[in-house]
Order: sequence, then C-alpha cells, then structure tokens
Amino acid sequence: MTELKTTALSDVVSITYITKDNASFRRDGDFLSLRVTLPESVGFDGEPLGGEKYYERIYLHRSFPYEHLYEYISVLDRDSVEIGIISDINDFDPETSEMLRRELDRKYFAPVIKKILSVKERYGYSYWETIAEDGNRMSFTVRDTFRSILKVTPEHVFITDNDSNRYEIRNTDELDRKSYKKIELYL
Amino acid sequence: MKDRIMLRNRLCTINPGVSPEDVIVAFPFDLAPEGDVKTDGFVAVTTSDVYVYEKDVLMLRLKSADIDEYIFSNGVGCVFAECVTNGVHRLLCRATMAQRDLISSIIWQLNRRMERSTYSYAYEEETDVKCPNCGRRYPPDSHVCPHCTAKKGYIKRVWEIAKPYRYFILASVLLYFISAGVQLLPAYLNKLLIDNYIQAEGAFERSASADFIIGFIGVILSLLGVNILTRLIGIVRGVTLIEAGTRMMVSLRSMVFDKIQRLSVSKISKRTAGELMNRVTDDTNQLQNFIMNDIGGFFEQMLIFLAVSVIIIAYDWRLAVLILIPVPIVIFANRAFHKFMHRVFHRQWVMNSRANTILHDIFSGIRVVKAYGSERREMERYDEATKNECEAQIRAESFFAKFSPLMSFLMGLGEFFLLYYVGTKILSHEMTLGDMQLFTTYVSIIYGPLRWLSNFPRRYERTMTSIVKIFDIIDEDVDVADKKDAVDMKIEGKIEFHDVSFGYDSGNNVLHGINLTVEPGDFVGIVGRSGVGKSTLINLVMRLYDVDDGSITIDGVDIRDISQSSLRSQIGVVLQETFLFSGTVYDNIAYAKPDATRDEVLAAAKLAGAHSFIMKMPDAYNTRVGERGHTLSGGERQRIAIARALLHDPRILILDEATASLDTETEKQIQDALQILSKNRTTLAIAHRLSTLRNATKLIVLDKGTVAEVGTHDELMRRGGIYYGLVMAQRQMSKMSAGA
Repeated sequence: MTELKTTALSDVVSITYITKDNASFRRDGDFLSLRVTLPESVGFDGEPLGGEKYYERIYLHRSFPYEHLYEYISVLDRDSVEIGIISDINDFDPETSEMLRRELDRKYFAPVIKKILSVKERYGYSYWETIAEDGNRMSFTVRDTFRSILKVTPEHVFITDNDSNRYEIRNTDELDRKSYKKIELYL
Repeated sequence: MKDRIMLRNRLCTINPGVSPEDVIVAFPFDLAPEGDVKTDGFVAVTTSDVYVYEKDVLMLRLKSADIDEYIFSNGVGCVFAECVTNGVHRLLCRATMAQRDLISSIIWQLNRRMERSTYSYAYEEETDVKCPNCGRRYPPDSHVCPHCTAKKGYIKRVWEIAKPYRYFILASVLLYFISAGVQLLPAYLNKLLIDNYIQAEGAFERSASADFIIGFIGVILSLLGVNILTRLIGIVRGVTLIEAGTRMMVSLRSMVFDKIQRLSVSKISKRTAGELMNRVTDDTNQLQNFIMNDIGGFFEQMLIFLAVSVIIIAYDWRLAVLILIPVPIVIFANRAFHKFMHRVFHRQWVMNSRANTILHDIFSGIRVVKAYGSERREMERYDEATKNECEAQIRAESFFAKFSPLMSFLMGLGEFFLLYYVGTKILSHEMTLGDMQLFTTYVSIIYGPLRWLSNFPRRYERTMTSIVKIFDIIDEDVDVADKKDAVDMKIEGKIEFHDVSFGYDSGNNVLHGINLTVEPGDFVGIVGRSGVGKSTLINLVMRLYDVDDGSITIDGVDIRDISQSSLRSQIGVVLQETFLFSGTVYDNIAYAKPDATRDEVLAAAKLAGAHSFIMKMPDAYNTRVGERGHTLSGGERQRIAIARALLHDPRILILDEATASLDTETEKQIQDALQILSKNRTTLAIAHRLSTLRNATKLIVLDKGTVAEVGTHDELMRRGGIYYGLVMAQRQMSKMSAGA
C-alpha cells in the first residue's frame, strides 16, 4: 500500500518572518522605523508585494501578550497591516533587541500590584486601594468585578478598571495574607 | 475646561514668554515616556509652538509650523500622542486610559485645525467627567458617580415609582405592626390560663362555678381568636403585598426595558444579553422581594423585639439583663458565621458555575467534540471541575452542619439562665408558673427578630445594589436621541453624505471624510475589502449610530432632525444573517407591518420566492420558527426576510450581503426578487460577490475608510483601479473553481 503524502500547512501558507537578515530597525525620533526586504509576490488585487520597503513608523503587537512577551511579535504598518512577525527579538543584535524590548514595554502598560489595602464593594462597583511595585498608591474603580478579573493562570491575574486600565498581580500566592484575603473571593 | 484653563495658566507662569491668548489647547498626561512610572505633565499647543512639560520641566519644544500631522495611537493599557515633523515621529506624551477620550479628541481637533483653522472644545463636555465630590471619574457613558450617589436619592426615586402603590405598601406595613402586636398576645393568654385557672389557688373547688367556666373557656376562645386573627392578617397582608410588589415590579421592568430599547446599538452592544436580562428580570425581582418581605418584616421584627424587651424589663430588670446578656454575643457570632458561610458557599457557587459552563460548552459544541474524537478529554475536564465542586460543597456543607447547631445552642442559652432564675423565684413564691410560661415564650421569641435583623443589612445592601444597577441603565445618556423638534417626513430617497467621519471607539476612525450623493431610485453597490467600513456606512444611514463629524441628509434634511420612528419605518433591511423571532412564519413576515392583510403577506412571500417552500411544510404559514421551532435553511430564512422587507414597502432598501450565504441557484431567484423589490426605491447593497451588483446604477468603492472610486461597473473597469483588481481576482477564483 502506498502512503499518501499530505500537504503540510507550511507548504500552503507562509508566515513572513522579520529577521536580522532581512530587516533593520532604527529609532528615528521617538519611534521605530523599519527597512525590510521581503520575497517578491503578487497580492490579491494584483499589486506587487515584497521587495525592499521602508516604513517610517512601525507598530509592534504581541501575539501572546500573557505568555510570550518578546516572541511572536507582529510588526504592523500605520494602517495596521502586518508586515511580518519577529519570532524572538533576542535573535537580533543586542542593540536592536533592546530597542524592540523598550518599544514593547512602553506599549503595554499594566502596573504591578504588590499589596491590596482595601477592596470595597458597593452597588455593583468595587473600589480598590492598592500599593504598586514602586511603592505608589493606586486607587481605581472596577465595574462588574468578577468579569473584570482575568486569570491568565489561577495565580497570575489582570484586573481591568472602569477606564480600561490594567493592573497585574503576578502571583496571588505571594501576596501577604491580608491582601490575599481581600481578593480571595474573586479568584 | 477647568483643566485647560489651569494648565494654560501654569504654562504662562512657568514660561512668561507665552501669552494666554496664544494657547490653543493644553492637556495633562500622567505617564512617563517609558517604564511603569507615573508622572505629572502637560502638553500645550500654542499658535507658534508645542511644549511638553514634565513636572514643570520643559522636555520638548517644537515649532507648530513644522508639524505635518498629529497622531493618536492606542497602546495596551495606555495611549500615545505623537506628531510628525519633517517625516520624523515624535512622542508628545503617554497617558493612562483615563485620558484616552480627551487626548484622542484633542488630536482629532488639532489635525482638523491644520486643515480648516478651526478648533472646537465641544468634546470637553463629554471627556471632562469627574465627580465634583470625590474626584473619581464617572463610569463610561454615565454622568452619575456611583460612589457618591446618596442612598436617600435612590430610595426617594423608588418611592416615586411606588407612588401608585404606596397606600398598599403603607397598609401592609400597618398590618405587619398589628401582626407583631397580635403575636405577643398568646404568651400572655397562656400565662392567664395557667395562673388564673389551671394552677390557681382553689381552682379545683371553683371549677364548677359558672364564672370560672366562662372565664376559662373565654381565655381559650381568645387564644383561638388570636390565632384566627393572625391568619386573617396574614392573608390580607399577603394579597396587598402581592398586588403592590408585582405591579411595581412590572412598571419598573417596563421602565428598564423601554430605556434599553431607546439606547443606541453601540451602547447596548457594550453589555451582554445576559447582563441586560439580569437588569430587567433579576434586579427588579430583588426589589419586589424586598418590598414584599423585607420592608414590612423589618418593622414587624423591630416591634416584636422592642415590645418583648420592654415587657421583660418592666417585669423584672434583673431577668431582662440575664436574657439580654447573650444578645451582643449572638449578634456578633451570627454575623461572623454568615460572613464565613458567604465565603464558603460563594466558592461552591463559583465551582458549580464553572462546571456548568464546561457542560454548556460541551453540549453546545457536541458536534465538534465528536468530530475530533475528544470525548475523553472533555470527560476529564468535566470530571476535574465536578471534583472541585464536590470538594467545595463538602467544605461548605460540613461547616454548616458543624456550626449551625452551635449557633442554635448559643441562641438558646438564655433559656437556661431563665430557668434557673425563674425556678428559684417560683420556689420562693415570688413568681408563678404562668410567669415562667410567659418568659420562656418571650425568650424563644426574642432571638427570632435578632437573627432576622442581623441579616437585614445584607439584604438591604443587595437590594440597593440592584436598585443602583437599575438606575444605572435608566440614567444612561441616550446618545442617539430624537431632537425635540424632530420631524416625521415622507422620504423621497435622496441620500447625501457630507464630509462624514465616524469611529466606534475614540481614536479609531472607521470612516473619514466621506462625501457621497445617492439619487432617489438609484441602486448603489458598496464594494471594498472586509473591515473597510461598508456595514458601518449603512448603519449610519439607518442611524443606528450618530456620525462623529459631518452630516448625512435624506432629501436635504439632516437625519438627526428626522424622528427615528419615521426614518426607520421607511427603511427596509435584509441582512446576511436573518434573525427570526419565535413565532410563526406568518408572524415573522408580518413583523414589518403588523396590520398587513393575509393577501398582502401571501403576495410578499410569493414575490420573495418563499411561498413555495412555505407551502411544502405541513403547517404552512402557521409553522413555528425561531428558537424552539422548525429549522429553516439559510436560503429559506433569507427569503422570509426579503418577504418581510417587501411587505414593509420601504423608500430606502438596504441589502447587507443579503445573498452571500446562498447557493447560486437560490441566489439567482432571490436576485430576481430583489430586482423587482428595488425598482423605484433607493437601494444600498453590499456584496462580496461582485456579479450581484452588475445592475447597480452606481458603485462606490471604499478603501481605508474613504471613498476611493465611484462610477458604474463599466466606468470602473475601464479605470483599472481597486474595483478592477477585485473583479479580476474574483474571475480568476471562479475560473479556478470551475477548473477544479
């Protein structure tokens, strides 16, 4: 019996990877620009794609924002069209990877909660008084508390407030007992 | 506005070279350019320069004339304001999400100012939304601070709603009072029975006398009377309360429902269907229960407690002290017990709902589960969840089993003190057996109200939460509202877009600068890639959303000046996914025109090509469809929707991928029906399959949120632009599939 060979997914769809060999990032002004050479192809509408291109401002977006902070990074142009994906920013030279890391860290803002002083539930809203990692006090209001707490893992949670700000608790088990008691009900 | 003036003054103080009149706008930001660091800074745009200050230190100064463009961009959990000078992107500031709407509006106005030299501060009303009392920002889409809203205010409003029923409620409270008094009587009558008759001195000798017998039977009859009275009061009170509570719930429900219906699609879609259902049903129910059971109950229990306390104290204060000593302990223990119970039972509830979610998921997706042979994996997932639930339940129930008797014991403790005290008093002839009976009854009564009252705050809070949530919806601003002087008008069908911009969230414009004219009777095809804003365009014509900038007119009248009912009654819509309500096929077609005659419905169905398949079903037009009804295929549903639109006889017809999910033959039939339908009316049609738009009088090609091309099929093909590309690509595809 002859074995039938199936077509692998990768034969049909190819992800455009942005690597140190085909791309160079530069910091122009306060943001990153990109010069990239991609394999030539023809787009759906017949327009030519690929070749050397220059983007004066690119946007980075994490594919797995809770799991892989510096891997699988999508690089987008101003119209949010994906130029390609960076497998791992550490594959670039140290200077570039640092630049990418800074850009990513700047885009994703979620201060870390170290201590919970109080959580007061009142009429469907909860009022949080917390201490951030840097010692600053953070007060925020959460609507529909249960649904606003995202559990990445049972211990790693993100809280989203009324204004869509995010707050992170990296490990609920590492909170002091008093703090833990205050959020236990929501976990 | 306050912020802007304050920052303007701050700028002029730090930098005396700037004159206040030159400041166009100034806005604060709260994040350092990098890192999780909060800061206090502001950006000021003057006629000549742009300044960025952080902690009053100048960080950046740019010449306004050098700026080509301002950009607002969303981070995750933060936002950015940027500008472009000579092709270089500069960061003006980074801020938390609280400032998102403000900054995006300002950036929008700054760009507009460069084009038209005008700047409007109208956004400040929407974005300057802090509670003057506590400084907290209002929740999105609300102008009420939930933190500072006095409970009194809400109770007053509930009382307003209760106005038609307040006599019922007052009557029931009164009945509760009476019943409280009546409940205390049997104990006293029992004491009389024992002391004056059963245990009275010389009772045996006097037992044959008429006085004694009459008195004896009198007391027993009184006991019977009290019992009957209690039941009667219970019946009257029950009926009164059901009347008041239910009627009030119904009016509250219709208030909430009416409000939800008036909210725009964008506001409604921010909440889940489940959440809205909760508001309409659960929260109003909670309030009904509170009115029916708790308000009167509160007075009743309070009165019983006070009356019993007063009676005991008046009788013998030492006895009162003995009985009342455990009271604080009991209250405290009861509260602690409930708090803990709440915790463990809540955990059980969470585990239970998790297991249910898994079950719901598996059953809804059973075909997928079976197709991928993942039954075992799902089984394990469910097992794990039920195991957790089981553990939580054991923990909760065993705790309850252990501590609930302890609580009862604590509550009964007073009785032992009482027995000892009264027992010694009886032995020394200071008290009678009747007294003992009276007090044991009162002691057993007094803990009832205590237990009830100590749980009352929790019920009260829960009800207040429901009330606040209800008013949260009732108070929500209606963003797509009819103007006071909105007119009803007969539509001819000329649609014009004047420089229309729109985005679902701030900072993300889906459409910008759209200018269009559609003549009455035109069949206009709207073409473009997915996500380019085609559906948004027609949503704006239907006024499901209001434009952010510019205007849409119909026959020269701004659609915001036309009453929504008048506008929508003359627009017919056929969407890709047709929703059929639970009901019959007939009901669903007649939905657009409830007063249609049977003949009209039949004619519409016939024209839509629905009649033949309807007649193949045993129950024909009376076939039940929708959630629990007959399942119709996509094409059949679509034809019902078209019949619905035909019956509606609209001036403007909107077809959003109306035939996309159908096979070619059905599509051809429906296209023919649509051809007839669109005659003499303005039709806007979206279609991916470009062949369906061949007969369009005009095609509009959208690209990147703007109108890229306008013309007939032939014109656009000659032009060789985006439309040409799309047609060619589709031809190639159909060739390929034909070859395959």
